[in-house]
Amino acid sequence: MSLADTATLRTRVEETGLLWGLVGLVALLSLLPIGRLLIEGLAPGGQLSATALGKVLASQATWTATANSLVTAIAGTVLAVLIGGTVALLATLTDIRARNAFTFCFVLPLMIAPQVTALAWLQLFGPSSTLLKLIGMAPPLGSRNPLYSREGIILLLGLQYAPLVFLTLRAGLRALPKELIEAGLAAGASPLTVLRTVVLPLMTPPLVAGIALCFVSCLGNFGIPAFLGIPGNFLVLPTLIYQRLAGLGPGVLSEVAILSLLIGVIAMAGILLQDFMMRRRDFRITTTSSAARPFELGRWRTPVEVVLWTFAILVLALPFLGLLSTSLIPAFGVPLNATTATLGNYAYVLLEHAASKRAFINSFLMSAGAAILIVLICVPLGYFIVWKKSRVLRLLNLAAELPYAMPGVVLAIAAILLFLKPLPLFGVSLYNTVWIIIFAYLARFLVLGLRPIVSGYLQIDRTLEEAAQVAGAGLPRRLVTIIFPLIAPAAVAGALLIFLTAFNELTVSALLWSSGAETLGVVVFSFEQGGDSTYASALAAITVLVTVGLMLSTTLFAQRLPQGVLPWRD
Amino acid sequence: MTQTRRAFMMAAAFGALLTAAPAFAQAPSGKLVLYTSQPEKDAAQTTAAFKKAYPSVEIEIFRSGTTEVMGKLAAEISAGQPGADVLLIADAASMEILKAQKQLLAYPGAKTEGLQPGSFDADKTYFGSKLITTGIAYNTGAKEKPSSWADLDKPGYKGQISMPSPLYSGAAAIMLSTMTARPDLGWKLFEGLKANEAVAVRGNGAVLRSVATGEKAYGVLVDFMAYNAKKQGSPIDFVFPKEGAPAVTEPVAIVKSTKNEAAAKAFVDFILSDDGQKLALAMGYIPAKPSVGSPAWLPEGTKINVMPSDIAAVVKATEADKARFATMFGN
Repeated sequence: MSLADTATLRTRVEETGLLWGLVGLVALLSLLPIGRLLIEGLAPGGQLSATALGKVLASQATWTATANSLVTAIAGTVLAVLIGGTVALLATLTDIRARNAFTFCFVLPLMIAPQVTALAWLQLFGPSSTLLKLIGMAPPLGSRNPLYSREGIILLLGLQYAPLVFLTLRAGLRALPKELIEAGLAAGASPLTVLRTVVLPLMTPPLVAGIALCFVSCLGNFGIPAFLGIPGNFLVLPTLIYQRLAGLGPGVLSEVAILSLLIGVIAMAGILLQDFMMRRRDFRITTTSSAARPFELGRWRTPVEVVLWTFAILVLALPFLGLLSTSLIPAFGVPLNATTATLGNYAYVLLEHAASKRAFINSFLMSAGAAILIVLICVPLGYFIVWKKSRVLRLLNLAAELPYAMPGVVLAIAAILLFLKPLPLFGVSLYNTVWIIIFAYLARFLVLGLRPIVSGYLQIDRTLEEAAQVAGAGLPRRLVTIIFPLIAPAAVAGALLIFLTAFNELTVSALLWSSGAETLGVVVFSFEQGGDSTYASALAAITVLVTVGLMLSTTLFAQRLPQGVLPWRD
Repeated sequence: MTQTRRAFMMAAAFGALLTAAPAFAQAPSGKLVLYTSQPEKDAAQTTAAFKKAYPSVEIEIFRSGTTEVMGKLAAEISAGQPGADVLLIADAASMEILKAQKQLLAYPGAKTEGLQPGSFDADKTYFGSKLITTGIAYNTGAKEKPSSWADLDKPGYKGQISMPSPLYSGAAAIMLSTMTARPDLGWKLFEGLKANEAVAVRGNGAVLRSVATGEKAYGVLVDFMAYNAKKQGSPIDFVFPKEGAPAVTEPVAIVKSTKNEAAAKAFVDFILSDDGQKLALAMGYIPAKPSVGSPAWLPEGTKINVMPSDIAAVVKATEADKARFATMFGN
């Protein structure tokens, strides 16, 4: 056996080992919880039974909720893509000023919890709206809030997830080579023609990734339809699941499991459609130049800037001001003015309430940990899915969607069913520790990291990596020195999405927390439920401020990062 | 107030006698896990007070909404290992369901003397700890002052009412089945509410928000939440409707699989003892033991007319009632 042969053999062993390691890991995170739910739905207590399945399928509510879920998810996605896509194109490809500040502000609403956003908008449109009173447009007392409707849900879903599309698409747009656009413009094509024939076709992967993420997010969102759908009894699958859970009684878990699998099926159908759209096309671009910014808006620049900023301020400031004003009053309905304003709520959550401080640290560590771990998993995972076209991982790529699509409560139930008993082989139990929450976070948010990273791979030309392979660099080394730097912008966008989402999440940890392992969402929810919304608002406002601080401080380190890694820094 | 204070002093003297008793018996120790749906602050106070009474018991707590607590428990039961030793959750209906599944341990030795009749299970598996009644809250700027449930059907209230949805709130579901079973209210009341465009929101917290901020003038709400907000300066007031106020009792129960029966029984004893009852009083609730007094917000001499609930009948009717409500209030 020659030396070269041994080297090839070693690389092959390395690659196969890594591949199957990844297969095992993704199966553990995605298939295991789903499989456990399937057992609960079809064979509760180990006895095969079609009772729950029959009951769910025969219920009219199931199909109404399914139809409503489809309509709101599709329409919400269309809206989010229109808003997020347009803003991403304008903010990346034109010469608007203060682009970094704008990007930063546009991403922020992602970290305000959906229920907070919902409440803020409800107050804005309701009869007690200070803003509408100012312009004399307030609806008469007792008139129905127009947001309590299907259209209201669609509107807020679109606003909530526009930043998600924006982030994914922006990561892709920055890899767009200037030369292509300049060539098109030089050949006499109008900017719109260039957009249609050059930019958008090349942007298919990130756009499709954004659409897919957005669709699944809308499908699984509980906060918005819970607030806006309950009064009109407009049911979607997540709220129906919650209703069933509140109904108690025997056999509830099985029904809930089956309803969740129904959501999973819809989510998978959406992803299959996406896979079909991406097939057999080549989107690779070699990026050599700095980010493109060739479209000059000329006299349109100021109006475009005004529109963009107004929108960003509206979507960001509105819910945040709602939070702030509630956090400064001693009780609901007390008008906010110089004499009533108090910092008492802040003092309480920061100084008196022990769990709040712990929750901050817990949530930060768990979200950051989940974000880093998921990126570390997804970079090699994307490599095998896109460049190595591994069939088994492509199937798992679909499964990764499931834990994110179903309501967090259900994923938590699956985690309880899995980890209540001590682990086989190890004999320790993860139950009632932070590890069960971290497992649930990894399972749930895997897809948030995977989608941007997969779309990143679709856009990168493999030449560099192939050259390194020919030169004899093994896969681990290529991953660290070549692949990771190339994929970094997409990976950071993914990590940011995971961090912001996990930092605010409530539904997963609501069932899994234990004394000492509280999360921020749990504490906010606890206050809200006991009628202490002023404390809840104070804590949520602090969360937003802390996150802004964190995001800004990353900018300080940005000098050391490759260009284009931080979404809000050119 | 002097009368109440005197009752309070008397009870305190009695309480001292009663809580001295466990010291003679074998003092319970070890770990005790409590699942509760009490508000955050109350849960913290309850566990702290219990620790003081039984220092050698290590009490751990899981707190969430009733739906979440019951969901977690259901998953644990399904996996064959309930994680709680004792429960303290909002309503008797949830307890009835657990009892039917044989998950609760009867405690015949529980001291039920002096508790409101009907506030505890006849088989001694769960015991009401307090009385949380539901009445009508109104914004102080409201045009009308309601005095009965029937008032809510009057034309002047159109578009001004919010209530907790029985589809998401266990207490509201009990209220629905209790009221619709009464000949004088029945479904007629809810048809009137529908005609008046009453809005069902997710829970009591949301009702409080809408009434206190003036989004709606009237709300179906639990007593203590309205009064606590009033105390903090919210423009809100509250009435006990004259047909009676439906109530939940936040029962305490022991889980059958408990590994620490002695400590679990001690917890039930503590909740039902005068000290435990006074704690409920201090948190602003109406205690299950009338003898310890009544909360400061309750106007002197108010005789609360509690609407009796036949829990067994409620459990039977609730699914059908909720379905009917959903159809009625659906769009």
